[in-house]
Amino acid sequence: MGMGTPPPVVETSHLVKIFRSRGRRLRALDGVSLAVRRGEVFGLLGANGAGKTTLVKLLLGLARPTEGSVRLRGADPREVAARRRVGYLPEGHRFPDYLPAREALRLFGRLAGVPEKLLASRIDELLHLVELADRGGDRLGTYSKGMTQRLGLAAALVDDPELLFLDEPTDGVDPVGRRTIRDILLACKQRGVTIFINSHLLSEVERTCDRVAILDRGRVVCEGSVEELTRPTMRYTLRFAPGQKERLDLPTLGARRLLASDGHLEVEVNDLEELNRILDAIRAQKVLVAEVQPVRHALEDVFVRVLDQENGL
Amino acid sequence: MRTWALVVDTWREAFARYTLLGFVVASTLFLLTLTFALNLDIVDGVLAAGSLFGKAFDVSSRPVPVNELVTNSEAAFAGMAYALGLFLAVFTTGSLVPNLSKRGTVDLYLTRPTSRTHVLLARFLGAATVVAANIAYLCGGVFLVVSLKTSVWNFRFLAAGALIFFVFLSYLGLMFLIGALSGSTPLSIMIPYAIYMITMPLAAHQRIEALVDSRLAAGVVRTLYWVLPKSAELGRDMLQLVLGRGTPSLAALATTGAFGLGCLVLGLVCFARKDF
Repeated sequence: MGMGTPPPVVETSHLVKIFRSRGRRLRALDGVSLAVRRGEVFGLLGANGAGKTTLVKLLLGLARPTEGSVRLRGADPREVAARRRVGYLPEGHRFPDYLPAREALRLFGRLAGVPEKLLASRIDELLHLVELADRGGDRLGTYSKGMTQRLGLAAALVDDPELLFLDEPTDGVDPVGRRTIRDILLACKQRGVTIFINSHLLSEVERTCDRVAILDRGRVVCEGSVEELTRPTMRYTLRFAPGQKERLDLPTLGARRLLASDGHLEVEVNDLEELNRILDAIRAQKVLVAEVQPVRHALEDVFVRVLDQENGL
Repeated sequence: MRTWALVVDTWREAFARYTLLGFVVASTLFLLTLTFALNLDIVDGVLAAGSLFGKAFDVSSRPVPVNELVTNSEAAFAGMAYALGLFLAVFTTGSLVPNLSKRGTVDLYLTRPTSRTHVLLARFLGAATVVAANIAYLCGGVFLVVSLKTSVWNFRFLAAGALIFFVFLSYLGLMFLIGALSGSTPLSIMIPYAIYMITMPLAAHQRIEALVDSRLAAGVVRTLYWVLPKSAELGRDMLQLVLGRGTPSLAALATTGAFGLGCLVLGLVCFARKDF
């Protein structure tokens, strides 16, 4: 480990989890080795049943590995001390529906060991943050799915965590609620909170995460930074000033591959020289270019490609 | 503060699921029935006339001292409260561990910096306080109704409440073990009822052992007798206690307590080792 590299906050080594049921063995995790560093936002991607939730449960000490090891800030997550200032929003959570939101936060704040004198103000702050301040006295049984999800995030944040685990955080949340959750996560990231997100909403992960791993049938099949995985291609989008594109004589441009669509043009080139030659040809036709933007692989493309490769398609 | 939070949560859950309300309503109905059904006419410390549920007491053959009548009546009420209290208490608390163990709920509690043993023990304490309050209401209510109607204050009756609570704690340990193993509310309620039924004839274990042919069967009966709670013996001892004729058997108390404690410890171990 280099001098400047912070130690991993979350670390798994050759992690195996086998479930046994009625004589059958299901290998839910198969040698998973991962490391998440302090302040990083890490996304775990995978299809349903890939083993994402099992991995998070092992990371939080809810289940024990069959083989391999899990460390949370260097300690076994089954030790009480390892779970201090760790927030968790589980998938399909069931908060006690008989409690008002404020009381639910008080309960989980007390279980997290938040001092009583800080708790009341912390609850107000969190209800405001997740935009539930006006519903804090209502029982959770009256909440919509999206509201419960936002309350779940507030509960995960109740003890000002250093490490946050979120399992499908935007599941069932409307676009406005998603935006709220994303903004909260970005604010956490700026404060240096390490965030581990489990999701199959790839666009959300792409917007939020620094690094991702793709899990397939219990194995990590791809891992890297979002920047690396969605690296620019040799495709460029050209946008034109209003009314200009119609004046273009496309066949004269000589592009290898060209896709014209409403108001813009997508070209695929071998190198920058070729791109500039095309731009010169456009300018020679007296057409005004407003923007040239490289096209990046969407995380979804990467995800589908990797899983197709794994499945031999 | 963590323990307090979990105890309060248990009370809230019992309240929200109407189990607490059900216990209070059933106890209140019992008390109201007793209040209106028991009519006594006492003259110079002797029962002159009286009725229970409309049936007149026979006071023609000999004068009945009111003290004797009250202690006998209280013994009968204690017997009823023993069966009713245990039935209601098991029903009230049977869902506590299975509800906690549900996927999506257990994750919220066990990922906090609180040990699993702490969570389950605080839940046990919460259940115990819920039932203690209800048994105090039921037995305290019977005691007050009878004492106010007769002016005879037999404080030994209150000890019956303590004994009912003790037997319940033993069954609560069993419920926590079943809940931790199975996560099933029906099983957590049915098995204690079944054990209660089995322990009744086991009080006559010596006679049963003499009747069975095989030594193995006799050994099984004897083992069951010594392992399971002594519900029948303690029920009988409770009546003797109320009547002022004796104290509960230490062997029955010790084995019943050991059963509950053993079950609770096993339940804690299972819960602590379980994958959720």
